[in-house]
Amino acid sequence: MKKGQVTITITIGIVFFILTAVIFIQFKTINQTDITSLENMREDELRTEISNFKQKVEEVSKEISDTDDKIEEYQEAINSNREASNILAKELEQQNNILGKNDVKGSGVIITLTDTQAQKITPEDLRELLNELKTDGAEAISINGQRIVYDSYIVDIGGTFISVNGERIVSPYEVKAIGNPTYLESGLSKKQYGYIDTKLEEGKDVSLKRENNILINKYNGDLNMEYVKEVE
Amino acid sequence: MIIIAIVIGCVLGALIGINVPNISYTYSGYLAIAIVAALDSVFGGITSVLKGNFDLKIFISGFFGNAILSILLTWLGVKLNVDIYLAAIVVFVGRMFTNLAIIRRYYIDKWSKKVIKEDTKNENKKKTMGEG
Repeated sequence: MKKGQVTITITIGIVFFILTAVIFIQFKTINQTDITSLENMREDELRTEISNFKQKVEEVSKEISDTDDKIEEYQEAINSNREASNILAKELEQQNNILGKNDVKGSGVIITLTDTQAQKITPEDLRELLNELKTDGAEAISINGQRIVYDSYIVDIGGTFISVNGERIVSPYEVKAIGNPTYLESGLSKKQYGYIDTKLEEGKDVSLKRENNILINKYNGDLNMEYVKEVE
Repeated sequence: MIIIAIVIGCVLGALIGINVPNISYTYSGYLAIAIVAALDSVFGGITSVLKGNFDLKIFISGFFGNAILSILLTWLGVKLNVDIYLAAIVVFVGRMFTNLAIIRRYYIDKWSKKVIKEDTKNENKKKTMGEG
């Protein structure tokens, strides 16, 4: 065999070796590669994927903003409801104050009536006093801690005790009234025919005191109506 | 002798190719173009052997040169956003078909010549027998 032929043989062998090696590498690569996995995607495929994702993101963010809007609306609704319920609660509080279901305080007068040897204080004296106080604009009244409400009553028990709201009370009777102190005081201490003068004349011990911070306790009983029905 | 070299080269190449780690999928496109170019060179080489003007230098330079050039062109195409590799494939595969046609024709010619020869031989034999 000639030297040139050996070279040709070896060279062609190497060439075919390289060719087959590369072909098999390629076969193996194509076989084993998962085309759908992200690392193996071509650039344009990736671009499409990215644009798809962008669209999705846009849609989702739109949804998010919609949902946010809704949440805001609901929040507003909740707030307005809260306002309404606040107003209702305030109203209820006021009604309760008027009814006497809350402890209240304010400026007013304290009238103290005390039994003496000569004269005892009668329920009539207290009723008169209440009338007078109400006339002068008292907003909350209590006698010895018994709150005077719309159905309060003052009665005599066997000529010995006075009962207010069903509770026995004894001398000294301390009547607290919240209202404009000036009106209350002037109303009670009118000359000659005023309440205090009249009682003093009768020989009863009555004293009046102006105070800025009077505390009146709430009514302890129930305020229920069984027979009264609201007219539609 | 050359055929033995080719067979050994192919077997070794297959063994090595199977055992070599994978290349990245991104580059497999370039490799595919290179393979097509190399195959074109191989068929071109066979054609030239049959024609009797085979030159090892031209074959080797074509084998590696075409492969590298096609890879470069493909890379350029990716950079230019033009699918140049399509042109490379069209050219190489087209030439492969042309070369295959030449090879086919050569062997068919050879075969038909042989048949004709044998026919004439047989006829001659018959003639001699008939004469005899």
